[in-house]
Amino acid sequence: MISVSNVTKHFDKVHALAEVNLDIAAGEFITIVGPSGCGKSTLLRIIAGLVSTNGSVMKPAKGAFVFQDAALLPWRNVQKNVELLMELESVPKAQIAEKARSVLQQVGLTGFEKSYPHQLSGGMKMRLSLARSLVLRPDYLLMDEPLSAVDELTREVLQEEIHTLWNKDKFTAILVTHNVAEAVYLSNRVVVMSPRPGEIIHIVDVPFGDDRNQKLRSTSKFTKLVSDISGKLRTWK
Amino acid sequence: MEIKNIAPPILVLILFLLVWSFAASLYDMVFLLPGPLTVAQAFVSDFELIVGGLWITFQEALYGYLLAITIGVTFAAIMSQSKILERSFYPYAILLQTLPAVAVAPLIVLWFGFDMQSVVIISLIISLFPIINNTLLGLKSTSINLVELFQMHNSSRFINFFKLRLPAAIPNVIAGLRISAGLSVIGSIVGEFIVGSGSEGGGLGVMIIYAQGDLETPLVMALILTATLLGFAFFMTVSALGYYLLHNWHESEIS
Repeated sequence: MISVSNVTKHFDKVHALAEVNLDIAAGEFITIVGPSGCGKSTLLRIIAGLVSTNGSVMKPAKGAFVFQDAALLPWRNVQKNVELLMELESVPKAQIAEKARSVLQQVGLTGFEKSYPHQLSGGMKMRLSLARSLVLRPDYLLMDEPLSAVDELTREVLQEEIHTLWNKDKFTAILVTHNVAEAVYLSNRVVVMSPRPGEIIHIVDVPFGDDRNQKLRSTSKFTKLVSDISGKLRTWK
Repeated sequence: MEIKNIAPPILVLILFLLVWSFAASLYDMVFLLPGPLTVAQAFVSDFELIVGGLWITFQEALYGYLLAITIGVTFAAIMSQSKILERSFYPYAILLQTLPAVAVAPLIVLWFGFDMQSVVIISLIISLFPIINNTLLGLKSTSINLVELFQMHNSSRFINFFKLRLPAAIPNVIAGLRISAGLSVIGSIVGEFIVGSGSEGGGLGVMIIYAQGDLETPLVMALILTATLLGFAFFMTVSALGYYLLHNWHESEIS
């Protein structure tokens, strides 16, 4: 599990995070939503260990971070990009090729091994970014608005793919987004944050099972929950 | 290459040669302004002489250039490793640029002798700064997300440099190398002007001085043209290297 306690953050004079306490069970999918500038990305970076804090963060050893812009190495082709984190994590050379092949197949990038990132669509870049992280079999995966740059249709397809990947590997997931429907579709719990200085104002349980698909989006329960959470976000303003 | 790409510069060249011929025919004084044909004749009649000088200048410029690349990239790599190192040394890198190399040349001759190595050092000094500056800029401009990605996966300083910062800096390194390609040849010519003949015949710069003394203006022009083309060849070689390294991924070379 991941345990965040008494986490606060000031950037010079800006009070970014008030005080955040949050426990996330192993294998749970949590989404953090909140208005722009509420410190949700900062919180994610604190959990990742990329930003310092006065509080404490307990987490498993193996994690990965998916960046908003996919953060691919433009000089490496798809194959070499998917191998990158395995190289950094010293995965034995003999295993790298097979793992890469299998994960590329999972995210539907087989046949694109020799392509370079600039030749890929936004959705494919994000698939590659996910594949590069998931191939490590991480205990937890942190995602910072990974789908904000793709078109609406691709966005929904990728949400379904992320759900499938999570269902299969059951890593602990923390997603930051400002798309409430995305939060509801993917998560077990949705964490709602206030504007700066960010703090948690609601934690909403999502009562849908782990076997979700496109049809869920049009159910009244789904749309009601989305509008409830949107309302919570709005009333704060 | 397509016709529409080559045709415009060739037209400009023809136009230039015509204007030049016309001007030369107006003056009709070979030692003041020889026409293009006269210069071409000098090329042919003094071909062996020119090739001999070219060979010497080529070596001086090449050694100066290679030294500048080695020292410049290494120096930039060291400075990129810490803010303190950069603050300590960068001002002196700038001084290297503002240093009047021509004025320092006599000192270099004093220290290193009337020899090819002095010319190489002058060429090095003149071509060093653009390489340091551009490489450093490139090494410092790595995308923050990529730096964080590597940080997440505990990469060492060494891995960071070779797998991330250096490849990300290649477009800037190439930009620096392109500027310095021509400068290294200019540096050699300047060096030869001051250092003088050396032991064997001397390079293009030395020959220019002798030819000028003999009022052999067509030969002077042929030598200048040769030196210019040498710099151009350096530039094109580096451009080809840049294309090879970047055409798969960098905006500047993706066709």
